[in-house]
Amino acid sequence: MSDDTQSDHFGPEINRRSFIKGCSIMAAAMGLSESIVPQMVEAATAPGRPPVLWLHFQECTGCTESLLRGSHPDIGRLILDIISLDYHETIMAAAGHQAEANLHATLDKYAGKFICVVEGAIPTKDNGIYCQIAGRTAMDILAEVAPKAAAIISIGTCASFGGLQAAAPNPTGAVGVQDLVSGTPIINIPGCPPNPISFLGTVLHYLTFNKLPALDHLNRPKFAYGRKIHDQCERRPHFDEGRFVDQFGDEAHKQGYCLYKVGCKGPGTYSNCPVVRFNDVGSWPVGVGHGCIGCTEPNFWDTMTPFYERMPQVKIPMGDGIISEVDSTGKKVLGVTAAAIGAHAAVGIGKSMMCKDCKKDDNQGEKS
Amino acid sequence: MSYERIKIWSILLRLYHWSFAGSIVVLVVTGLYINTPWTNSLIENHNGFPMATMRYIHFLAGFIFTAAVIMRLFLLFFGNKFERASDFAPVTARNIKSIPAQIMTYLYLRKSDEQHLGHNVLAGTSYLLTFFFALGQLISGFYLLYPESANWQWWGLTFFGPQQQARNIHHLLMWYFIFFAVIHIYLVIWNDIKGKDGLISSIFTGEKFKKI
Repeated sequence: MSDDTQSDHFGPEINRRSFIKGCSIMAAAMGLSESIVPQMVEAATAPGRPPVLWLHFQECTGCTESLLRGSHPDIGRLILDIISLDYHETIMAAAGHQAEANLHATLDKYAGKFICVVEGAIPTKDNGIYCQIAGRTAMDILAEVAPKAAAIISIGTCASFGGLQAAAPNPTGAVGVQDLVSGTPIINIPGCPPNPISFLGTVLHYLTFNKLPALDHLNRPKFAYGRKIHDQCERRPHFDEGRFVDQFGDEAHKQGYCLYKVGCKGPGTYSNCPVVRFNDVGSWPVGVGHGCIGCTEPNFWDTMTPFYERMPQVKIPMGDGIISEVDSTGKKVLGVTAAAIGAHAAVGIGKSMMCKDCKKDDNQGEKS
Repeated sequence: MSYERIKIWSILLRLYHWSFAGSIVVLVVTGLYINTPWTNSLIENHNGFPMATMRYIHFLAGFIFTAAVIMRLFLLFFGNKFERASDFAPVTARNIKSIPAQIMTYLYLRKSDEQHLGHNVLAGTSYLLTFFFALGQLISGFYLLYPESANWQWWGLTFFGPQQQARNIHHLLMWYFIFFAVIHIYLVIWNDIKGKDGLISSIFTGEKFKKI
């Protein structure tokens, strides 16, 4: 393994070659031309790194965990060279009062300039007492930070739409950032967890162009959430042609057929998972034989469950896929043909048995 | 001049003819779509499947085509006198001699008063060639439809080679059927006008008219 590959994936340091490679991957993920790469490199290496405050509320830290496994650029490069991560409870060195001091220093010094990243939902029931940090509720903290931020990135489905915490009956009254904040641009990067590429791409887009990428009606960047999983899936031909897994572990499952009938929610889910895949290993849920659970969509715990039952109202071509339909219809056509031939032969044999002269007659053509 | 009606074509042969003709029309139209889709790809989405639908219709028509070929195969050996290959194949001296005579007739160089109750030998020979090409279309078609089937792989590789070669041959053979259809329709109309046996109606009624 070359040094380059080594640092690309595992090393604590990164050389320029793989850094540029990372920027190119990011440009490709956002659908930008390669001519933008130098500009992106310049923006990512410019002095005066933009400060980022990362707030954790009701969450599992899965989004941070996922980001730690990002490699284009890796987390070290991201927080040391590209952005200035002034507050992040999982990976910051400071603790206690020192951490709080950092938070407020950035709030005062960079008011209107820093990027706020929110991970996790915000509970609102009973004045938000179900999530408190440094003695203050998540609602309080967000109300203080959000108006001063240049933009807010809600990372993960919880921060975007409430996620698991907001699932019925939503005991803590959890909501996403966009339900509480107005006046500050909000960009949602949903997913459970979201792909680090989608998050890093958004950050680099902001640094390069000084504005947020184009968003869809749910404030998700279109470059990552513009198309359905179903329409980009490598198993899609099996769907169209009617080759489905009926049960996990069956022969069709071993063949890698479509997972729609065992509950895949790809037909209703917008994300780039089939294209960018995860963690540099070229894999994603459907690729390893598990259906999509629709984790980038609002309320997916309520609307996409049960996870292992087929999604209603999804049209399969010709009812059950064109090949499987034509197989059964084709057999019927051939069956009818065999019957017609059998009838023809039976009548012919019957006629010649009934009168010996008919045979001769037939050869001459029947008079009628 | 008086005529009598003679039963020539059995119901099974007429069924074969129309399922063969109908399936070919559908196969050519959908086949050309599969080759060069003329709808905008923007209408391809989860709710509309123009390509999948065209392919389905093509495959279904392919099965009907197969059924027609099987019917004709049966009739070539077990049909009535006029339907059997022995009646119109260029295998007897008399049959072979009638081919140039028929060509002369079509070139207006010879006036024919000969009456063919079944196929004339030239037509019959072209039908046998068509039957042979139909088998080629059928085998290459099933090879393309079931690319993973070991049986069809054997047939496909034996006669056509790899998938893409089979695809090309499948496409080229389509043009034979288009040319055949054009010439066939022209000549049956010509024969219906020049002849007295009621050629066109015979494929609906099964009967021709014979001079007494």
